[in-house]
Amino acid sequence: MSSDRPPLPDAARRRFLEGLGAGGALALLGNAPLTREALAQAAPAKPEPVVPGTIANAAVLAEKDMTVFQVHSERPLTGSVPAEAHDFDVTPSNRMFVRNNLLTPDIDAGQHRLRVVGLVDKELSFGVEELKRAFPNVSTQAMMECAGAGRTAFTPTPRGTPWSPTGGMGCPKWTGVRLRDVLAAAGVKSGARHVAGQGGDPGTVATAAPVIRSIPLSKAEEEHTLIAWAMNDAPLPKVHGFPLRLVVPGWVGSASTKWLHTLSVLDGPFKGTYMDDSYRIPKWPVAPGDKMPPDAIVTEAWPIKSMITHPAPNQKVPAGRRLTVRGKAWVGEGSVARVEISTDEGVSWQRARLGPRGDKYAWRSFAFDFEPERFGYTTFLARAWDDQGNAQPMVSPWNPLGYFWNGVHRVGVLVVPA
Amino acid sequence: MWGSWSFRLSTCAAALTAGFALAQGAPLVSGPGVGLVTAKCGTCHDVTHITRSKLTRDEWTDNFENMVKRGMPRPSEDETRIILDYLTAYYGPRPPPPAAPDTLAAAAAGASGIDPTQGVGRILSAGGCTACHAVDKPLVGPSFDAVAARYRGDAAATAKLSAKIRHGGAGVWGPTPMPPNAVLSDREVQQIVEWVLARN
Repeated sequence: MSSDRPPLPDAARRRFLEGLGAGGALALLGNAPLTREALAQAAPAKPEPVVPGTIANAAVLAEKDMTVFQVHSERPLTGSVPAEAHDFDVTPSNRMFVRNNLLTPDIDAGQHRLRVVGLVDKELSFGVEELKRAFPNVSTQAMMECAGAGRTAFTPTPRGTPWSPTGGMGCPKWTGVRLRDVLAAAGVKSGARHVAGQGGDPGTVATAAPVIRSIPLSKAEEEHTLIAWAMNDAPLPKVHGFPLRLVVPGWVGSASTKWLHTLSVLDGPFKGTYMDDSYRIPKWPVAPGDKMPPDAIVTEAWPIKSMITHPAPNQKVPAGRRLTVRGKAWVGEGSVARVEISTDEGVSWQRARLGPRGDKYAWRSFAFDFEPERFGYTTFLARAWDDQGNAQPMVSPWNPLGYFWNGVHRVGVLVVPA
Repeated sequence: MWGSWSFRLSTCAAALTAGFALAQGAPLVSGPGVGLVTAKCGTCHDVTHITRSKLTRDEWTDNFENMVKRGMPRPSEDETRIILDYLTAYYGPRPPPPAAPDTLAAAAAGASGIDPTQGVGRILSAGGCTACHAVDKPLVGPSFDAVAARYRGDAAATAKLSAKIRHGGAGVWGPTPMPPNAVLSDREVQQIVEWVLARN
């Protein structure tokens, strides 16, 4: 009869008890995005309660640009920035979206181990520094997007994090080692089909199901799939998976396990709630409002998608002066072939200029010059096409958990006298 | 190798459940069952996940089952009915009834057999104890009566149980750990221990 948990230090306990008095002030704001102003108004007089071994939301958000970062829920912590705050070639770390399933762990990188187990010739275990030294270090800019990004655009709105149509994604630069190099070192046995990542994020209750997700071996062995320790040339922020995470570019974010401590090579998909209940879509589209059919499939690569990052919605634009509409386009697998803009609600479409092709899974910039010819409200629609001939629909197929919204993005501005 | 909870259990700091429930109580509309819903749901996630929803009973049931799969210890049948009644009434597709007192607070004690509005029951409820412990039958953890019986005549019982509540532990009753409790004051821990041992 022993506990492996040390007693709470008095200071931590005091902080927690004081935090109780704060009464969850943030939660009182309901569904409203939490801007810096809102946070200031609702700021709890006392610190929030913090589970030992985890990071307070306040500490996570201190690293975010709260002039643009919107929090959707506190537990689990979720938040992102609107499309007009994405007008960067590379997503800055302080604007990268957050989607936790459980709490943010406070991991000691010096003690952290990554184990490789399962259908391998030799089980391996690495410290973080050992891992960096053992394999070639590579960097790549790559998309990360929550499966539920855009959920609020569906009607009826499915349950889950209320991401805006362009919320819950970003495209930073990642640095790490290739997952395939690590798998090769362990020796993948014949019969292996999937690789599962498990993260060290704790739940509030001891019975919380562990966050485990597996990906097919083919994606695990793709050269851009990384075990990463850096984002934008700096160590991963704690909320983004410090000290190690998977980066499975172009695929739904849940595949990119944060706080990675175990890789397990399996003979098929992992069976668990984050595979079998969440992150699934119907094999064939269902009627809006229907239940998940039995033949649902696990979400993998994102379909073609784009967003307009400039101008901002409802911006005032002077007439007679050229306006350059800017944005980003991306696709989970394949490449962006072209982007079109409509200024007449989809009646006609004109090609936008594409920026340079970057890393394989990076988003691609586009630009479109527009001369406002009349006063009043004017809209821009962006529609991207991939190299397989797939285009963004006006409305994405409804599904019970609200995944893969990729409907055309629409931004309206007000043309006013110069 | 993935089959057990042991990964999670060995690293989970699960102490502060009731504290979160308390901290998140305000946003839910008051009504019959609100206390139980706050305790069961607000322990793991903030209740904005409820307040932003308008779901049918079927959909709430589906969500409820999803939470069980994600690790919520399954509430009793009575508790389940109270929770779903509340959610469907106040966060359903129809206009909600007016806010009302939580007349089911006592009934919601349900499986635990503890009235959360009276005496030591208030402490046990606020401390999150009744999520796993009942008076006379095992739930996730042993019954209070069984704990009392085990420590009968043990001169060090008060110290042992106080330490167990404060710091958590595992192994006495099985592998499921008891999380440390940072919510309760020393005085409240003492009141609980006195009450448990007095059951002998």
